[in-house]
Amino acid sequence: MGSIPTRFDVIVVGAGPAGAAAAYHAAKRGFKVLLVERGRGAGSKELYGGRIYVGPLRDVWPGIEKEAPIHRWVVEERLSIIGDGEVATLSYRYSNPVSFTAYLPDLTRWMVSKAEEEGVVFVDEVRVDSLVRDGEGRVIGIRSGPDVAYASVVVDAEGANRLLLERAGIVDALDAKRAPIALGVKEVLKLPKGAIEDRLGLSDGEGLSWLIAGTVTKGIPGGGFIYTFKDTIAVGVVVHLGHSVNAVEAGVLKESVKDLVESIRLHPYFKRLWRDSDIVEYGAHLTVECGLDYMPPHLAYDGLVIVGDAAGLLLNLGYTVRGVDLASYSGMLAAEAIAKAHDLGGMNAENLRVYENMVKESFIYKELVRHRGICWLTKERRFFTSYANILLGILSNLYVQEFKHPTVFEAVKASIRSGGEALLPLIGRILKVVREL
Amino acid sequence: MRVVVGIKWVPNTQAVRFDPRTGTLLREGVPSIVNPHDLVAVEFALELRDKYGGEVIAITMAPPSALKGLEHVIGMGVDRGILITDRVFAGADTLATSYVIAHAIRKIEREIGHVDLAVFGQETIDSSTAHIGAQTASWLGWPYLYYVTKAEPVDGKLIVERTLEDRVEVYELELPAVVAVAMRSRKPRPVRLANKIRAKLEKPLIIWSNKELGLDPRCVGLRGSPTVVAKITFTPEVPRKKKIYRPRSGDDAAHWILKSLLADEKASKILRRILGGEM
Ligand SMILES: Cc1cc2nc3c(=O)[nH]c(=O)nc-3n(C[C@H](O)[C@H](O)[C@H](O)COP(=O)(O)OP(=O)(O)OC[C@H]3O[C@@H](n4cnc5c(N)ncnc54)[C@H](O)[C@@H]3O)c2cc1C
Repeated sequence: MGSIPTRFDVIVVGAGPAGAAAAYHAAKRGFKVLLVERGRGAGSKELYGGRIYVGPLRDVWPGIEKEAPIHRWVVEERLSIIGDGEVATLSYRYSNPVSFTAYLPDLTRWMVSKAEEEGVVFVDEVRVDSLVRDGEGRVIGIRSGPDVAYASVVVDAEGANRLLLERAGIVDALDAKRAPIALGVKEVLKLPKGAIEDRLGLSDGEGLSWLIAGTVTKGIPGGGFIYTFKDTIAVGVVVHLGHSVNAVEAGVLKESVKDLVESIRLHPYFKRLWRDSDIVEYGAHLTVECGLDYMPPHLAYDGLVIVGDAAGLLLNLGYTVRGVDLASYSGMLAAEAIAKAHDLGGMNAENLRVYENMVKESFIYKELVRHRGICWLTKERRFFTSYANILLGILSNLYVQEFKHPTVFEAVKASIRSGGEALLPLIGRILKVVREL
Repeated sequence: MRVVVGIKWVPNTQAVRFDPRTGTLLREGVPSIVNPHDLVAVEFALELRDKYGGEVIAITMAPPSALKGLEHVIGMGVDRGILITDRVFAGADTLATSYVIAHAIRKIEREIGHVDLAVFGQETIDSSTAHIGAQTASWLGWPYLYYVTKAEPVDGKLIVERTLEDRVEVYELELPAVVAVAMRSRKPRPVRLANKIRAKLEKPLIIWSNKELGLDPRCVGLRGSPTVVAKITFTPEVPRKKKIYRPRSGDDAAHWILKSLLADEKASKILRRILGGEM
């Protein structure tokens, strides 16, 4: 077995949207690439919400709109705020969709098949245990059990739970209570044919994205989501991990975060949508809460570049997560940077930091900075409890009156007072939220 | 030693659900895996090779998706894999399957070299017949032993141990032979990076259709299968009362069991009937 070539130009760890893109673009540029994934088959470990923005992906994956396993194009956005017994829903319909729904395992499998077509050697069922470094600390390969494979550069695309970077001392170990990390839990419900169209007023191929805020998360910062697929609906929540741990310890949650998903599934307002459905899938996954806080000190080191969630390149707006397009885009940038470093004479940190600059100049970083303010929101419990109730109170004061209708200002004032908040600071906060969003 | 190990590509039965209304298995979207008991057989074969040299060849009769399963066992260290795949083989029962596998082993002997041993798992998780090993042996006219836990070649023969409920038996088998390895008798080794890279780069895989095997279509697939599945039924689990008691002694345990049984109306009636006057 000594004859097996274990030297590659590029080794990519993790076959998610980031790793697949890095491998694909590196191979396209003529590098010999090994892509290693611990799951059985590409995409088997993926779990996410359901909607992907297509713009950046058109650059990364030519032909994505024609070839990829797309389910529905999102043409309607809904936002519901849930109180105790009340619901306020805003809905917005448009005709030029910019995002689609897809099963991430299927989409990832498609991406990896594209990479294999370009000559990438894809190996699944193999967990990488550590990065291999030489005497001077340069990354020179990967280790898995008794085996080592060498490469001029390793691309770390291991996702949000970045044990390799922790082990290499590049980032700190994850502290469940304090880290800017959220937990996503979701269920997939299979509906009778045609039910999604009938119940949600959609035509064939049209999709809907529905975000849910308010008491459904029992005061834990975060929110719920509903996405429509071909004949299934995904229902889930994304909540702050630390607050969730506290909530379980304090007994606010009976068992775990999955209670929250159930409370949406059984909510009288929603449950008619999935009448006669079967739960066909259930899962949980960590996600980054505040990308910039999660970013490693550098995105490139000697012999190493970091892409996707592992690099904190993900936009979490508290109620919605956007990471697939950013991850894939960063993978493509990494491959470009590797080609540039190659031309500059080698994969040292100095040459590879082109990648860092490319990320900083791309839309990814600009978006992360633009939404930076959202980070405080995810820690602001009040926003998720009393503010939701105040808003619902305003609507209740306005509409649920038998004789005398108040003016809008009277309704607002009364609701805020009963919520125990002072008017002026509250308006300040609301303005801040609006600005951030 | 050249060892051939048979593997089956099965739906992961833990993920398969049963529809009690129609009496069918809901296999849609259920990923396939290598039958876990066959991985024990693969481990058994690899241990023999590691100790005594030679090669391990995995064979499977399955649709082309089973190449993934062969890649998996090559990842464990199997030297090469043979996929036997053809529309005419579809719908086979164990008789028709073993017929094809036996002929494939004959073909291996003609084209690759002498086979010393054919190894199978104890049974499959999707049908549990445990037929294939025995039937293959009888087509080949080779000696066969099941529940095997250990094997050691000595002077051109194979000393084989098998573990039954109450005893361990030791046999001396003439080679070539067929053995079925006792389930859970060893832990299959994990897939290794180096082996997986080899599986991808060298592709040590052979595909045989009936063009290569040239078997009579009346003896294979659905046509060669006398078995008829009349009906599949589902036996729901009966809920039982559970109690844990930590006895201080054997006497104490007996006393507690008797007391509990007598306290139960139904159980005490049965007990009185059995024990009659002694109560
Ligand atoms: C609940 C939830 C909802 C989300 N909703 C959306 C959404 O609606 N839209 C959107 O665009 N994004 C969403 N995201 C974010 C999106 O899923 C991620 O940003 C994206 O998957 C990141 O891609 P990646 O390739 O960086 O990492 P991942 O997709 O996590 O891929 C990492 C891969 O590396 C493998 N791996 C890890 N360690 C090793 C190792 N040591 N050896 C070998 N392999 C390893 C893993 O098995 C995995 O396959 C959501 C995330 C969550 C958790």
